[in-house]
Amino acid sequence: MNPFRWLLGRRRIDHDLDSEIRSHFAMAIAERIAAGEDPESARLAAINEFGNPLQAKEDARAVWRGGVVALVADVWQDVRFGVRMLVKNPAFSLVVIAVLSLGIAGNAAIFSLFKSIALKPLPGVRDSATSSVLLGRTIDGRGMGISVLDYRDLSAQQRSFESLTASMMIFATVGRGVDAQRVIAELVVGNYFETLGVTAQLGRILLPSDDVAPGQHPVAVIGDSLWRRSFAADPAIVGKTIHLNGYPLTVVGVAAPEFNGTIVSMGIDVFAPLMMQPQVWPPSRLDARGIFGLTTMGHLKPGVTTRAATAEAAIFASQLDAEHPIPNYARRLEVIPIWKSPFGAQTYWLPAIAVLGGMGLLILLVVCANVANLVLVRGVSRRGELGVRLALGASRARLLRLLFVENMVLALPGALSGVVLASVILPFIATGAAAAAPSRVYLDTSVDGYVLTFAVALSCACAIVFGFVPALRATRVELSSMLQDLSPRMASRGRLRSMLVVSQVAISLVLLIASALVLRSYAAAQQATGGFESANVTAIAIDLKTAGYDETRGPVAITRLLDAFDAEPAFEHAALATNVPMSLVDPGPRATNVEGYAPRSDEDMLFLYNIVSPQYFQTLRIPLLAGRDFTRTDDANAQPAVIVNETMARRFWQTPEDAIGKRLRSGTSEWRTVIGVARDVKYARLSEAPRPFVYYPILQTYAPGFVIHARTGGDLNDAMRRVRDHVQALDPAIPITLSRTLTEQTRVALSVYELAAGALTMFGVMTIVLAAIGIYGLVAYTVQQSTQEIGIRMAVGASRGDVVWNFLRRGAVLAAVGAGIGLILAAAASGAIRSLLYGVGARDVVSFGGGTAVVMTIAILASLVPAWRASRTDPLKALRHQ
Amino acid sequence: MEQKRYRPRLEILQGTLDMLILQTLQWGPQHGYAIGQTIRTESAESLKIETGSLYPALHRLEKQGWVKSDWGMTDQNQRAKFYKLTPKGKKQLLQERDRWSQLVSAIGTILNPKRTRS
Repeated sequence: MNPFRWLLGRRRIDHDLDSEIRSHFAMAIAERIAAGEDPESARLAAINEFGNPLQAKEDARAVWRGGVVALVADVWQDVRFGVRMLVKNPAFSLVVIAVLSLGIAGNAAIFSLFKSIALKPLPGVRDSATSSVLLGRTIDGRGMGISVLDYRDLSAQQRSFESLTASMMIFATVGRGVDAQRVIAELVVGNYFETLGVTAQLGRILLPSDDVAPGQHPVAVIGDSLWRRSFAADPAIVGKTIHLNGYPLTVVGVAAPEFNGTIVSMGIDVFAPLMMQPQVWPPSRLDARGIFGLTTMGHLKPGVTTRAATAEAAIFASQLDAEHPIPNYARRLEVIPIWKSPFGAQTYWLPAIAVLGGMGLLILLVVCANVANLVLVRGVSRRGELGVRLALGASRARLLRLLFVENMVLALPGALSGVVLASVILPFIATGAAAAAPSRVYLDTSVDGYVLTFAVALSCACAIVFGFVPALRATRVELSSMLQDLSPRMASRGRLRSMLVVSQVAISLVLLIASALVLRSYAAAQQATGGFESANVTAIAIDLKTAGYDETRGPVAITRLLDAFDAEPAFEHAALATNVPMSLVDPGPRATNVEGYAPRSDEDMLFLYNIVSPQYFQTLRIPLLAGRDFTRTDDANAQPAVIVNETMARRFWQTPEDAIGKRLRSGTSEWRTVIGVARDVKYARLSEAPRPFVYYPILQTYAPGFVIHARTGGDLNDAMRRVRDHVQALDPAIPITLSRTLTEQTRVALSVYELAAGALTMFGVMTIVLAAIGIYGLVAYTVQQSTQEIGIRMAVGASRGDVVWNFLRRGAVLAAVGAGIGLILAAAASGAIRSLLYGVGARDVVSFGGGTAVVMTIAILASLVPAWRASRTDPLKALRHQ
Repeated sequence: MEQKRYRPRLEILQGTLDMLILQTLQWGPQHGYAIGQTIRTESAESLKIETGSLYPALHRLEKQGWVKSDWGMTDQNQRAKFYKLTPKGKKQLLQERDRWSQLVSAIGTILNPKRTRS
């Protein structure tokens, strides 16, 4: 039966029943009066004879309805009652809703981050959360891609995936000259769009027929964002030409709006067939087994576990090793779920999100404790009402349900306003992160069904937590004592409230210590140089290839640029480099051979590298430990030279000095002599371990795209402008694809600390405010309850100081107990956030001491106010009051 | 305040109230109050019924289709709801009476074993 129709019908039945019972009484009384009784006693007798009219009505009504409908109707009644209570106590309701919405907002915001990375990692891709990645690993477990040829063999033979697809992510420029912009592109295999279930909103997707032979199909699909950003959502875009790294491609379609490629957190703007790779990003990587450029993904077949898929991949790995060996590398293939994939933001963000989520739940506990306190206080004033309900025959379960529904009525608005608050906060976090990132960041943190469901579930949990204890207490009370004595007896309830306050203090201390640790890490990370000095240095990227420079004209342009920089008085030093340190992403590694060194078969000989010009080390102030820097004479006519870092030198030649004069080569190219050893820097992240690194001279190994670092003693903005002017003076057609300071550019490596520090500080402040409210409330309440006692004490000669001390002591003792527990918890748990710490120990004394001091101070202040007020009590008034 | 004292009365057995109501109604339509009065007087005031409990019972019977109800006027010109036995209700009454006699004789057998043996 439709419950709402029943609710309407119920009105009629109620009315009918009322009339029937009224007519019964009319007849009963009339008959008794006719028999000679006086009206009043007739009325009483009739009522006496009838029994409980409410019960009769309720039973008669119950006859007409089924179980579910009855429940719905009862709950509806409770909801209406709850709403009435809420409107009747607006102050109480607003405080509870505000406190709850704060707690839920924080959690919902963190949850939508989690959703964007783990639940909906690739918007627009069918079931992206459950997809898996087939990847290679270096000997020390670093994840890397798979070569194009290996991928072809694997995808033809594998049986674990429904269907496997792959792409190669590249940083590229779109457009020409001054209009060029830096984007991320994916070069994709033919079945990419089909396998992912991505459609085109305009034109068509890329098809297997676009990816047949190298260089044959110069086509591209562009993303919705690029289409709107650069082409003003031109409806006639299909058929037009775009230039990817200067190579013309015909746009055949625009991908579905929500699709942003398959690298989690990265906004991909252009999709071109993998077979166009030699044209858009030379040299060709299509037929070298030793270039691990492809990222794969697909859904495992039903019933196939990642373990089974990995076992299958391992068999293929050894087969491939036998048929197509790669020097210095034994293939290690593995299948992992996408949330563990190293390609994208997952491994970087998930630990931080886990920590933040943990903190969020802690703060929610504090919120619940606070609300529970408020509900308890209200519970006292409602004892009479609940007692009457019990006396009238309401069952305990019925009362519990009523109280639960009332709490839900409080919790749901809290959840909804929390979600609204979260959706207001999130864009700030997201744009903050996006501004720091070197390329377009895309995370779907929008508030959707997932987030809403989470918030509502959370609020239900809250309603149970903060409502259940007080409700249980309220309904367990002895009937007789409640009806006889409506004035509250506070002893037991006071103990519960004290426990709540102690736990609030403990939790807020844990949160404060955690946020202090992360804040100090953030401060340390900001101070950290990463081994180089980024202040007063430019990071301006240009792309010679897009402007039409080839392998002969390019080096000439580089020489002329270096000449111009040398002659520029505003620059202390200036240099070129293909990679910027501390940019979060590892620059690609090269398989490297060391002369006279026979690596073990499983030794990782893939080393990161940078291609730099002379003066690079002076510009970034990276000290050379031995040997010399590259010079202008280390050009194509000179002996091939190379500079290695300290870790590399010590690994192969024991000391930096001994490394000088030794030789190494990349793959099977010519041997290069080590001419210098530079101190280690942080190449991608602050938290990375030391690793071998190789610097090649740009005058010997030409690179068409690079970053210009110029160090100035004067104004950095002026230096930025001068660098751009020099580039324009050389050739106005050369696109400047990025124009930032080095400090801005390396800030991205701090983004996790920044976000965590921001969120934790917010949490820390919230929880300390909540704890202060809790302590204040408790002491104020005790004072109110003890008015008489204070009166007597003061009447018999207690001084104001005694009274203040008496109440202050209660607050201080609770705070001290809470702080003690908090310290123990924090010491036990601080290891869990070690991944977020930099430059401070997990047991950092300053954080622990500072947190404790803050909590104790605030606790004492919070109890001082009501204690002082207690001392102003007029003894006479207080005694008369009772 | 002094309360009027009542003679101790028998608690009515669960389930028998329905039968008593049906029995009362077989002489013609009646309203709730009259049904209560009839049961009380016919039992010589020895049954204790809270008249309030009549109404849930009446609604129960109506839901089963054993009685039908209609608003009407009493002799004293009081508007009241009259209940009337349906054919289905008559059948039900017969069944209940049968069951009741069986119950009484069974219980009687247990309580007075000598008399049945002799």
